[in-house]
Amino acid sequence: MRRRVLWGLCASAFSVALAPVLAASGTTPSESGADGKGPGPAGGEERFDETYRGRRIAGVRHDAGRPGESGPSEWHVTVDGRPLHLMRRADGSWMSMVDHYQSYATPLAAARAAVDELGPDARLVTTGERHSRMEDSHTVNRNEHAEGEHRRGVHA
Amino acid sequence: MVYTRKDVSTLTRSERRRFVNALLELKRRGEYDDFVRTHIEYFTPDGEAGLRAAHMAPSFLPWHRKFLLDLESALRRVDDSVTLPYWDWTRDRKRTAVPWTDDLLGGTGRRSDRQVMSGPFAHRNGKWTIKVGVTDTEFLTRELGRPRDPIALPTAKDLEAALKDPVYDTAPWHSGSAKGFRNKIEGWGPGRGSASWRTHNRVHRWVGGHMMGGASVNDPVFWMHHAFVDLLWLRWQRRHQGARYLPAKPLARGDAQRGRVVARNQKMPPWDVTPAQMEDQSRIYRYA
Repeated sequence: MRRRVLWGLCASAFSVALAPVLAASGTTPSESGADGKGPGPAGGEERFDETYRGRRIAGVRHDAGRPGESGPSEWHVTVDGRPLHLMRRADGSWMSMVDHYQSYATPLAAARAAVDELGPDARLVTTGERHSRMEDSHTVNRNEHAEGEHRRGVHA
Repeated sequence: MVYTRKDVSTLTRSERRRFVNALLELKRRGEYDDFVRTHIEYFTPDGEAGLRAAHMAPSFLPWHRKFLLDLESALRRVDDSVTLPYWDWTRDRKRTAVPWTDDLLGGTGRRSDRQVMSGPFAHRNGKWTIKVGVTDTEFLTRELGRPRDPIALPTAKDLEAALKDPVYDTAPWHSGSAKGFRNKIEGWGPGRGSASWRTHNRVHRWVGGHMMGGASVNDPVFWMHHAFVDLLWLRWQRRHQGARYLPAKPLARGDAQRGRVVARNQKMPPWDVTPAQMEDQSRIYRYA
């Protein structure tokens, strides 16, 4: 369960692999940070760790991919040590569960935007809750189903 | 018996009270939080694998239509006089106007932590504790108009640009669809920053606080906002007679979106209904 939840907090390796294909069909995010919030990590950088508005935001790119997949990478991002659920848009940009109606060019920009939305006191919730109703009703194939569970390891 | 969904600005004092009380009762029973969970669970962005039914997809509109009907049914089990009101944000645009009054949703959040301090959904009034969310915040938050970086609500002109598009949705059937009514209303624009937040998405940002995140359902304005979006779909249907939900059929083998979007006659999780079945609700409700 714990492992599942952790995977749920990362953007999937599969989606990263997909991004170049999808980027060809639409817009491509710029390489640096979004919205004048400063530069994001440069193309090849594999981690960031900074204090932003009094919050420590850290991210690490893992190149191992998910077990059984050879996908390129995924990011584990935390705010004050608590995992931030980052997800990917088809254009390759990033969004979080905290700031859900916009996406950002880099994981760092998405993490900063999440901090902006958290305000001074709110903390990310780290105890997982999986919702059983989903498991009866999902209609995609078994592998995708399993991934859906991971992705929906969002917290209540 | 067809019931009527009204513009929230036209509700009588009694209608406002009964609507608010029905919401508070669902919250007390724990039913409301199931709706918050469902919305969080179904926010699958289009860069992720798997089927996405609720957002960045053609079924954005029928998914939310069904979601609203479920909430409305629950409200009507509490009080059968209640229907979902809609918030026409092209008309009621002020931070102090309806629906932000103390007898409806209460006002914006205070500056320090964006906590809503007035109205029935203020945490300090004891009946609206946030239990399902992506943060540990127990109080409802808002930041109407986002004073730290102001944005404006969409205008009637913005809506017209969407309503005049005669096609329901177009490939690639996601947040990058440049044409089609669905994404023009859902509001995923190209580029970055304020200009890329359009229509439905822009309203979520204008309200701010909980409405910005996956747990946006925690703010009851979610329902009024989406009731208006639902009305816009109906207006579009009336204007473009014969235009239907697309894609009509499951996408072809080899299409990157195959298996990831719901075709017109496919079931839309978590329900046993199809987009086609959601297209006409005129036997259930109408809009005034």
